[in-house]
Amino acid sequence: MQSSGGIATAEAMERHPVRMIESGPAAGVLMAATYGELSGQRDLVAFDMGGTTAKLALVEGGRPLTTTTFELHRVHNAPGSGLPMNIQAVDLVEIGAGGGSIARSALGVIAVGPESASSTPGPVCYGRGGTEPTVTDANLVLGYLNPHDFAGGTLRLHAGAAARAIEERIARPLGLSLEEAAWGIHAIVNTNMELATRVVSIERGRDPRDLTLVAFGGSGPVHGCRLARALGIPRVILPAAAGVTAAIGLLSAEVRFDVARTYQCRIDDLDPGRLDAIYDEMAQQAVAVVRDSAPGGDVHIVRSADARYVGQGYELNVPVPAGPLDAAALGRLRASFDEIYAARYGYGSPREPVEVVTWKLSAVAGAPRVALSKQGPRSGEGTRKGVRRAYFPEVPGYLECPVYDRYALPAGITLSGPAIVEERESTTVLPPGVEAMVDEYASLLVGASG
Amino acid sequence: MTSALDPVTLGVVWGALQSIAVEIGTTVHRTAYSEQAREGQDFSVAVFDARGRMVAQGPYSPGHMGAMSFAVRNALAAHPVETLEPGDAILLNDPLLGSGHLPDFFITQPVFEDGAGHLIGFVVNILHHTDVGGQRPGSQGVEGIFDYFQEGLRIPPTKVWRGYQEQEGIVGIIAANTRTPDKVLGDLRAQRSALRVGELRLAELSRRYGRATLFAAMDEIVTRTEASMRAAIRAVPDGVYPFEDFLDDWGPGTEPLRVFVTVTVEGDAIVVDYEGSSPQTTSGMNSYINYTRSYSYAAIKCLTDPGGPMNEGALAPIVVRAPEGSFLNPRPPAGGGPRAIICYRTFEAVIGALAPALPDRVAAASSHFANPTFGGWDRRRGRRFVAYELVLSGTGARATRDGCEAMAMAFNASNIPVESQEASQPIVVERFELIEDSAGAGKFRGGCGLRRDLRFLADEGKLTNLSERQRFAPYGLFGGKSGTLARTVINPGPGGELVHGKQSREFAFGDVISFQQSGAGGYGDPLARDPARVLEDVLDDYVSVEGARRDYGVVVVGEGLDLRVDGDATRALREDRRALAPDGEATVPRPLAAPRTTT
Repeated sequence: MQSSGGIATAEAMERHPVRMIESGPAAGVLMAATYGELSGQRDLVAFDMGGTTAKLALVEGGRPLTTTTFELHRVHNAPGSGLPMNIQAVDLVEIGAGGGSIARSALGVIAVGPESASSTPGPVCYGRGGTEPTVTDANLVLGYLNPHDFAGGTLRLHAGAAARAIEERIARPLGLSLEEAAWGIHAIVNTNMELATRVVSIERGRDPRDLTLVAFGGSGPVHGCRLARALGIPRVILPAAAGVTAAIGLLSAEVRFDVARTYQCRIDDLDPGRLDAIYDEMAQQAVAVVRDSAPGGDVHIVRSADARYVGQGYELNVPVPAGPLDAAALGRLRASFDEIYAARYGYGSPREPVEVVTWKLSAVAGAPRVALSKQGPRSGEGTRKGVRRAYFPEVPGYLECPVYDRYALPAGITLSGPAIVEERESTTVLPPGVEAMVDEYASLLVGASG
Repeated sequence: MTSALDPVTLGVVWGALQSIAVEIGTTVHRTAYSEQAREGQDFSVAVFDARGRMVAQGPYSPGHMGAMSFAVRNALAAHPVETLEPGDAILLNDPLLGSGHLPDFFITQPVFEDGAGHLIGFVVNILHHTDVGGQRPGSQGVEGIFDYFQEGLRIPPTKVWRGYQEQEGIVGIIAANTRTPDKVLGDLRAQRSALRVGELRLAELSRRYGRATLFAAMDEIVTRTEASMRAAIRAVPDGVYPFEDFLDDWGPGTEPLRVFVTVTVEGDAIVVDYEGSSPQTTSGMNSYINYTRSYSYAAIKCLTDPGGPMNEGALAPIVVRAPEGSFLNPRPPAGGGPRAIICYRTFEAVIGALAPALPDRVAAASSHFANPTFGGWDRRRGRRFVAYELVLSGTGARATRDGCEAMAMAFNASNIPVESQEASQPIVVERFELIEDSAGAGKFRGGCGLRRDLRFLADEGKLTNLSERQRFAPYGLFGGKSGTLARTVINPGPGGELVHGKQSREFAFGDVISFQQSGAGGYGDPLARDPARVLEDVLDDYVSVEGARRDYGVVVVGEGLDLRVDGDATRALREDRRALAPDGEATVPRPLAAPRTTT
């Protein structure tokens, strides 16, 4: 998986390792796009909350937004503060908010993150030596997590230790009750993520009320519904197997390889023979890589060029017609540059000379749509595992909250919050007032009907 | 106009206005032709409401931004709203009406609902053009300029486009009056594209939420911003805060220029008054009032409500005054081409004045930048060229941190990348480095000065130097030391020749011009600096072993990678130093400018 969301062979990546730098997050966003598509939603916020960070990305019209000004290790998400990477990458906002984010009392208020206990030592409740309370500890105290069946039963959580840590470090210094302190941690981390969500929606002029949140990652489904509610996002999709769904993104990615060559020249001075030779060579290279990864399938070639008016410093990408690049083809290239420029920047300048800086080619092997299996009919028996005391401020306080087994939920059933749905990799919390329907792909759709 | 706005709608409209401003800026940036616009980001953009109030701006040059709301008012005074049609745009570059010098072209374009009908606001941008004629390439000469008629083409508020059609006569006059018509016309097209993009987005926003909601949101934005700014000013202790600093001079053989400011904080309002500053000069060294206002606003904003939004509301609580006829509020037709060189001083005078009130927020004076322009004949490309440099160096030290390197202090421009300069101009950048021991010492040190050496492969070379802090070093605060002085040298090394900071002169094919900028001021007593930090600076070549001893009383021993601090020797040396100066500068509670001439 490349940072842009296309996949290629291990051999190709060995030669171009920089292209993989954001592959994990890119796969997650592609997965969100895939699940969005399944329920007819194409404008999404992909919300991936794991142990250390939360990542947010905007998907528009089914395609993740990408950027060519990707920067690694930005400081406070400030443009220009990171290492610029000259690659195509999914446009992500990442903040230090995860299950392992550490909570502390500072200046009389609760602060959460960006420091993280990660997975080692991890939250206090993991019993691996962590002493500082984390978001996961708070979620456990609130009753959202199952101490006896966490991560598929591989980890027993120490609720007592988590409670003691929150009591000592947060509740007592701030004069709060234990559950107020735990709820405070939960609510503060939601606020932090709300700000990041605003960056990918409101600050880009996208109204969250038109979007759908796709929540995944180990902690995403615990917080997703609250986050959506705070921003007025009307729909939430909670894919099954939320902790490992990035794998589905990987499977649904196109096999793709992009190559580029610099041959800077005014269009009216181009040597068509030289250009055809460049393109032949690029096609051979890219097709060979793609054939390795997708033997037998059709390979589709897409050509484009980065062009500008002579004298400018930035280019626009324009399609390069198929076939030999004779005068007529170059004339079409020139005309489409003026058109695309005018569409993007208001006016074209057909009298100004145009030059191409970079010639690009992508080889793509047919769109391998993932056929996600629909689940068979289920009786609905054994769906409800029991009840657990869980805290909801609307109640206010703890109540006996029904707990469901995600793997036993039949398609078409509707659950009403407050409810907790457990699966191996994650836990979904449905707050009071929320209704979720199980669709035929085992996703939980919140607010799908309205 | 008080339709109740829910917080989400207000948030979305506010964010959208902000992103429209950013999109206008991105469009200028990506479509511009000149290096200063596309690499140095020497332009600015904003969205105004139908009443002519700025509601959102892009994060570009404060010098333009503070002037912008006055420029728009002046444009609309000449072309009242009822005379405007969709696709009209008003251009002006008059120094008094705009931002103080002719290269800055302001363009104001009205936006109508659905392309016609009701006026819903204005989109505005301003761009520093490469050359608008006049005596010197780049139109920023100091010497020999006694009024703005020698600085180039002056354009009163004029419709440069009508109904989306370029006014060929006007554009033709502009093209005929610049040394670089390709760049100027290209940048003008960039401004036009950007405004068109902004117009479409603003009309779309109005369509989506309705005019009433858009107007209500614009009102709310200005109101809330003003309230936030006033609350921030209220937190500043009331008082009358004076400060004095000096510009080196206004050309070879002239006297220093005094910047005297009195900042009065009273409740939730601030008055910045430059009474006592030098009279206007018969050179390019004058800062028209809009420009003086701009950097005064910027300094107050940075110290009071830096994270708050920037629009008309943020300016409302601040009044900026300068005596008419002073060099900070000159009468036309005073020259003003090189006025950018003055902005650091107005900005830093306000910061220096407020240092006693806000010791934790201020920074010491920064390294001064150089802003020279070059012209001549480019042999290889067979054409005239005008090139522009912006050598940005260190920022001043703060209460808790060292200054930064290679950054702008008072504005948001950046150094022009070497690659970009070399790819399009007859220039080879031979050095671009930090100057050792240039930073003002302190508990926190200033940023280092920068050295940038350019070799010119050009004939008939003309340099218009524009540099500062060659006589008055950047001040330190609260016991922090001044940085070193700047200098400009032609062909550094044996036989090298010093060039005055504001001299205009010729140079020959192959000459190297070296800009060695001042170091920024330090903050707090250098003897209180953690020796480990001094060692780090020595390892980074920011400070020499001798400098560590001389400026910080830190004894660094060893060789190569094995450099380390001799703790005992350092303690002893520092005790001696303190004994020598028991009432030394470290205890001076408020900053003083250092009007010492050091050449």
